[in-house]
Amino acid sequence: MIAAEGATAVAVPEGAAEGRWAVETHGLTKRFGGNTAVNDVELLVPRGSAFGYLGPNGAGKTTLIRVLLGLTHADAGTMSLLGYRVPKHRDLALARVGAIVDEPRFPRHLTGRQNLSMLAAVREPAARTRIEPALERVGILHRADDKVAKYSLGMRQRLGVAACLIGDPQLLLLDEPMNGLDPAGMQDMREMIQSLTAEGRTVVLSSHLLDEVERTCDAIAIVDKGKVIRQGPISELLAGTSVVIQVECSDPERARELLERTTLGSQIEDVHLGISVALPAGSGRDAIAEIARVLVEGGVAIYRLQPIQASLESWFLQVTSRLGASE
Amino acid sequence: MTTVQANVPTPSLASTSGDAPPDHRGSYVPTFGMITTRMMELTKRRGLMITLAVVTIGIPTVFLVVRLLAHAFDPKSYGPAGGYTIFTSLVAGVLFIFGFIVAATLGCTAGSADLGDGLFRHLVVSGRSRLALYLARVPAGLAIIWSMVATGFIIVCAICVLAAPTKLNDNGLNVPPHLSEVQFEAWSAANADQVICNFPFFGGPKRSGPQLGNVNCGPHGLVIAGTTSPNGTPVTQAEIKAFAVTIAKQNYASYSRLFLYPSDSLMIESGLWVELEATIGFLVGLGLASLIGQRTVSVILMIVLELILTPIFSRAHIPHLINAQRSVVGVAMAHIEPGALPLVFGGGGGGPGSGPGGGRSQLIPETTTEAIIVIVAWIVVWTALGAWRMMTRDA
Repeated sequence: MIAAEGATAVAVPEGAAEGRWAVETHGLTKRFGGNTAVNDVELLVPRGSAFGYLGPNGAGKTTLIRVLLGLTHADAGTMSLLGYRVPKHRDLALARVGAIVDEPRFPRHLTGRQNLSMLAAVREPAARTRIEPALERVGILHRADDKVAKYSLGMRQRLGVAACLIGDPQLLLLDEPMNGLDPAGMQDMREMIQSLTAEGRTVVLSSHLLDEVERTCDAIAIVDKGKVIRQGPISELLAGTSVVIQVECSDPERARELLERTTLGSQIEDVHLGISVALPAGSGRDAIAEIARVLVEGGVAIYRLQPIQASLESWFLQVTSRLGASE
Repeated sequence: MTTVQANVPTPSLASTSGDAPPDHRGSYVPTFGMITTRMMELTKRRGLMITLAVVTIGIPTVFLVVRLLAHAFDPKSYGPAGGYTIFTSLVAGVLFIFGFIVAATLGCTAGSADLGDGLFRHLVVSGRSRLALYLARVPAGLAIIWSMVATGFIIVCAICVLAAPTKLNDNGLNVPPHLSEVQFEAWSAANADQVICNFPFFGGPKRSGPQLGNVNCGPHGLVIAGTTSPNGTPVTQAEIKAFAVTIAKQNYASYSRLFLYPSDSLMIESGLWVELEATIGFLVGLGLASLIGQRTVSVILMIVLELILTPIFSRAHIPHLINAQRSVVGVAMAHIEPGALPLVFGGGGGGPGSGPGGGRSQLIPETTTEAIIVIVAWIVVWTALGAWRMMTRDA
């Protein structure tokens, strides 16, 4: 994680309830007619973390963020931001929250700096002094006096982040912040998010890009059809997934026969120059040694034996396919 | 390709220390900064501002400048650019109606632009009171529209006063201004032919004073042969002068209401009246656009209200709908129009010579108190509706 120079810890707001959660929801529900976009969501986002809210398109990610921000009302449930109950103490909570919801849009006839001036005017007086540093931080200071009409989508994303930063937020809710960014821009955004969390801020990142979330976040929640189906630190969630062993050997057919006779309970597939052995969740390192022993004793020469931890993507697909199968 | 500088910390992080911000964010009172930045946002709409300036300032200015030039180059054919009549016509016919439309357009823009531009969401997530966000638009927009209408109005006043005619035009005759009744009669006696042939004679058997039997006027407004006295004999010069004095007596009341240029009090009253109309246009447009969330539709509705519904409702006496007609704000505004102005919406019933409130008789009846109540109600109700929608709208 990249630590920002001069970063300081963010204190808990005066009057806010003590607690370790930046976002806390219980039974949160939002319906649009017969469609339940947010379905009884129980969400706990630790303070100071980069938290991924992960789900396919239409899963209700943006709706949840809109409900949290008071952009639309919830039909049921309770929620708090930075320890403040929302919507009761919405003004206090949102004073230290920055957000990008959907594609960031701004008045096109104003410059980037003028847009930030408008947004700073609705915040505390000190927000005006943060405009320049915020523009510099997101890398568009040199275009600050250009009209937004001339900005690319990526630049508007950056302006959206700058708009968040002028409020000196303890919590940032970023809805698909990588949209419209080129690879270099995505890398920049990743580093920015990491630097923000290094300063003690909490970043909640909604995305359908599994790889981005895995690279950026410490913890995640998986949402599908409006409902959170898993949440926790990525390492803990992946710890319960299967491990795949790739074996490159002299006789793949023989290797398959030998391993199928064992009690490892593995699933074996043919791959180029060898086989792939998927061990059940919870299999220890001994299982890998057992594979090597069986193959060597069976006269199969091993050229390469590589355990591969399941990626977030494969785990996500496992989880969602399991759910799909159970329906 | 720009680079995000991950090592530039947000500067005041340490200074705020996470305390609750000292800005009363939940208050419904907008801050001065909110108002000034909202003004900036509106004034940066170059196309809109140019259009508004052209309509409120450009049209009357061009009209008056053309008259100035025409009079300068050919004073015999073209009268003076300014004067009382030009002033009243421009105020009631141009500034009042166009001022309303311009103000309504600005109000509709202020009420719907944030939604269309995506700024509304950014503003709401700041935690600032939505009511304060709405109310910030009111002084910001009014400051713009008041200054624009005032500029147009001041130009009209200045030219109408400075380029006013030196003689009054009364029934087509150039008459010296500020004459007493005796002086007016003396002037009429001295210009008896023209007075007899141009001024209206409200004669009749019961009218006192000398009369003529048959009046024949020539092509230049001169009494010619064939004009007779009441007993049928050819008229004498003494009879002509006496008859002119009779006519002067009858017309002095209307003459005394003629001015070379508008009085200070009329200019002040007219200015306030036009600004009030612009205020109503802005606030109703703001509320309407906030309510329905669309600028174009709102502007069209406002124009329909001003140019179609109000003229119809102000004059047509529709049975069973008379109270609905009275509740139209344009009708109420017509009732509190300064009396010396011609009736708005092209009525022409008021104005010089018709007497104070001369055009009011054509309006559907409504007391001043009722008119004021209607105006206040329109302002309050539309502001409340717009604010309510702003506070409840999904962002």
